[in-house]
Amino acid sequence: MDIFVQQLVNSLSVASVTILIGIGITLIFGLAGIVNFAHGEFLMVGGMATWFMVGAGMNFFVALVFAGLLVGALGFAAERCLFRFTLNRPMNGFIMSIGLSVILQHAVIRVFNEFQKSITDPVGLVWTIGGVDVTAMRAIVVAITAVIVAITYFGISRSRYGMALRASVSDRDTAELMGIPVRRYVTGVFIYGSLLAGIGGALMISLFPITPFTGSVIIIRGFAVSLIGGLGNVGGAVVGGLVLGLVDGLSAGYGYPEWTDAYSLVVMILILVLRPQGLLGGTLGPKAS
Amino acid sequence: MNLLAVEHVDTGYGPVAVNRDVSLTVGQNGIVTILGPNGAGKTTLLRSIAGLVKPRRGTVTFDGRDVTALHADEKATLGVVMVPEGRHVFADMSVRENLLLGAYCRKDRDAVEADLALMENYFTILAKKRGAKAGTLSGGQQQMLAIARGLMARPRILLLDEPSLGLSPLLVSELQGIIIDVREKFRAAVLLVEQNAGLALSVAEQGYLMNSGRIVASGGIEELQQSSVMQELYLGKRAQAKGAL
Repeated sequence: MDIFVQQLVNSLSVASVTILIGIGITLIFGLAGIVNFAHGEFLMVGGMATWFMVGAGMNFFVALVFAGLLVGALGFAAERCLFRFTLNRPMNGFIMSIGLSVILQHAVIRVFNEFQKSITDPVGLVWTIGGVDVTAMRAIVVAITAVIVAITYFGISRSRYGMALRASVSDRDTAELMGIPVRRYVTGVFIYGSLLAGIGGALMISLFPITPFTGSVIIIRGFAVSLIGGLGNVGGAVVGGLVLGLVDGLSAGYGYPEWTDAYSLVVMILILVLRPQGLLGGTLGPKAS
Repeated sequence: MNLLAVEHVDTGYGPVAVNRDVSLTVGQNGIVTILGPNGAGKTTLLRSIAGLVKPRRGTVTFDGRDVTALHADEKATLGVVMVPEGRHVFADMSVRENLLLGAYCRKDRDAVEADLALMENYFTILAKKRGAKAGTLSGGQQQMLAIARGLMARPRILLLDEPSLGLSPLLVSELQGIIIDVREKFRAAVLLVEQNAGLALSVAEQGYLMNSGRIVASGGIEELQQSSVMQELYLGKRAQAKGAL
């Protein structure tokens, strides 16, 4: 039982990173119709920036905030300089994002190097909760993600901006006719999604070492998470992240750990075969009129 | 002075030209219609006035200001609001949310609440269906919602694209009263694009007849109704037109 609870917390902390990246992927896809393949590199840049700042003596949690802001700025620049011009041709944007991901990988190798980086556990505590030992940092990762998910969810379902965002996702032209500045929302979603990727990167490096190539692995998982839940559906990204994280964590504990990635991808394939629109139903991207 | 003036506008998508050298005007508080057969380019013209399509040539002037290059959201903020063809309500959102979204561009939040009550009072079905998902409404109800949503923006001109499409004759006659009220009660001018000549001719004062992307006849509604082009091209009464000549 103890081991099960520990595995559960471990799985949830892994799921957290995947959920953070999945939310960004699904939001950007829903509004701009682009699967941003550079989103994994955004996360990697966030992790590398955290590694650099922590190495320079900064507190991890301060570095986390800066990593989020830095990657948010990166997302802003990418949208303004690149994706804005492919808004009406999402396929071009998709191809461009693959190019951007390669450029970012090599920029990071150029600035640092290709070796894996890690930081020491920023908290370095083990909490005993109900007789079970839990690494404090893992619990903190889960808590931070839960807060971000709650803010995102209520922001989208309750606020005026969230309402306008949902309208823009469901019918871009009509949203514009109602005076909603859809292009500004696209920019906003890029910034927000990138911010979450930056935070995800910081949280990831607090748990595992990362390399300049981590992004290309994590993007597959993020993409799988969004697909499992239904692309364009934020609730879906959370559910998808939990499913994938649990399959991952529990299979590592109870199955054959070397097959971990295979298990989660098999789950993704099964879900997509049985329920092509994803568990919660996706939007299939912006509708052209 | 005219509220809206379209001058020598060309439109198109990619290599396809749609409108050629279209000019028209809508006066303050006017109700003007653009009639024409399917595929005449009426919707594209309306979309270019609303800002969803950039005119390739020519100018659109609203209230004395050149608005040709503005995007749809900017034009909505100025008071040029289009109710799209096929209603395009936000299907997964509630009736109330749809109405609130219509008022997105407004700064006067308090007045928005009052207008919400006004709309529910005028379109009583919307009060009953307040919490229902817009996608569950019938076609007629969705059309009412789309118009009410457009009015929530407090437009100075409402661009209506084929509002009678798919409505029963009974609802079409109700629509007639609503369009008049858009001017009388809600103080907005109307530019109405229609295939349904009966509806358009019964509410409009001025009309334009469009065919193959061009304006082929225009004038006061009586005048337009009598014109031979109208008889021949639109109502398909070729023989009768010849007889009249």
